[in-house]
Order: sequence, then C-alpha cells, then structure tokens
Amino acid sequence: MTVVQEQLDSTFAALADPTRRAIVARLARGDATVNELAAPFAMTLPGVSKHLKVLERCGLISRTRHAQFRPCHLERAALDSAASWIEESRRVWTERFDKLDEHLRDLQAKPSQDEATQ
Amino acid sequence: MSDSTSAADELVYTRVFDAPRELVFRCMVEPEHLTHFWGPAGVSTPIETIKVDPRPGGRFETVMVNDADGSQYPTRAVFVEIAEPERLVWTEPDSGLITTSTFRDLGGSRTEVSIHQANVPAPYRTPEAQAGFATSLDRFAAYLATLS
Repeated sequence: MTVVQEQLDSTFAALADPTRRAIVARLARGDATVNELAAPFAMTLPGVSKHLKVLERCGLISRTRHAQFRPCHLERAALDSAASWIEESRRVWTERFDKLDEHLRDLQAKPSQDEATQ
Repeated sequence: MSDSTSAADELVYTRVFDAPRELVFRCMVEPEHLTHFWGPAGVSTPIETIKVDPRPGGRFETVMVNDADGSQYPTRAVFVEIAEPERLVWTEPDSGLITTSTFRDLGGSRTEVSIHQANVPAPYRTPEAQAGFATSLDRFAAYLATLS
C-alpha cells in the first residue's frame, strides 16, 4: 500500500464518524477555533480535540502552530480527492441500478423474448 | 438508494428491485443481461466485450463505450467468490478495489442488492486525475449531509 493510498484510506476512516463530518462541514464555511467547533456539540474540549487530531493526521485539516487560538483550516485538496472518488463511484452505481431496474421490468413484462426487444 | 461510508475505506450502495433473487443474481453474471445495464448513463457495454467466467479466479471483463464520442473504458476484474444467488465478490487487480455484491431475498419477489466497495483505487489519487476534477466543496457538503 502506497503512502498516498494510506492517506486516502485514513481520510475515509476519518469521515466515517458523524461528529467529524459535522466538523468538516463547519470548516467548509471557514476557519474556526477549537472553542467555536466545540460549541454546537455536547462535548468537552478534549473530546473535540481528539476528533481534530484524527482529521489532522489524515491531512483533512491543518492548524497554525504558533497562533494563539490555533484556528483549524480545511485542506480542500485532501477532501476533493476523497469526494471525487465517492461521487464518481456513487454516480456509476446509481445509474447502473437505474438501468438494471428497467431491464428487470422488461424481462418480467415479456419473459419469453427478453433479449430481442432492445 | 442509500449509501454510506461504513468502514475505513468502504462504501455501500443499496437498492431494492422488484424481481426474484435468482433473476437479479443472473443479471450480474450473464453477458446478455449485463449489456443492458453495466454502463452508466450515456455509456454502452457491447455484449461481445463482456467476458464472464463465474468461478473463483475467473475473469470479469468489459469494455464500456461512451455513446457520444466512442471513447472506451475497459474494466478488468477477477472473481474471488461466487455464492449463487447470495453473494458475488470480485477484485480489480489494476486498482486493488474489492467489490462485494450481496443479494437478499425480501420475499414477494423483491430483492435487495448491496454493493460494498473496499480499497479505494489508485487512479483517482494521481495529480493528473485530481487536476481533472472540479473543486466541489458545496456538492460534497450536500453529500455529507446525506450521510448524517
């Protein structure tokens, strides 16, 4: 497994958690401090910090090292890479299922001449 | 159809079809059926390009052809497991992607199909591929909302 692949795998793992997805959705609207991120959740600051560490490790967010409030920043490239793959795969299977549904209807409507009609 | 990220690098797509399980399963392994639905919208899969050898180690290959410009997208996979009519597993050696199809009999000639995908393929990770994708945070945020 390559380093890049490991990073994308960890991106999917990070996004499997609903709290972390909410944090990512919040950061999509702009940078925020840990306190701002913790506000909508019934969570302690250390609890939120744990989620932020997971997001930081897979490169989805970054934090300024020396700034006083260390605002969190969403790294769009890492997100796009995961999002593009999800969207493409989802589109293909959605459309494939649509066609399969139609095909199954045709088959059952005229079971004796299923292939001759298309 | 519902979908979700269920594990580290896994996606799940589920759909219920009004057809008996045996028939739905056959659609996924027989070229005369696959040719009707394998390509997504605007993409055909000519029957002569579909090679299916439904046994462990057997090949599962197709060539999808774009209806608009004729460009071709070959797919190459190898079956790992064939458990008719319940389960079908194949891998794509080029990418490492593992696809597991599960067919669940819901009774009354209805069948639920779940597609699990594990191991995210490499082509989408190259800088070239990433450059080809538009930045789509808004759409992704909307997608995230569907997962929550």
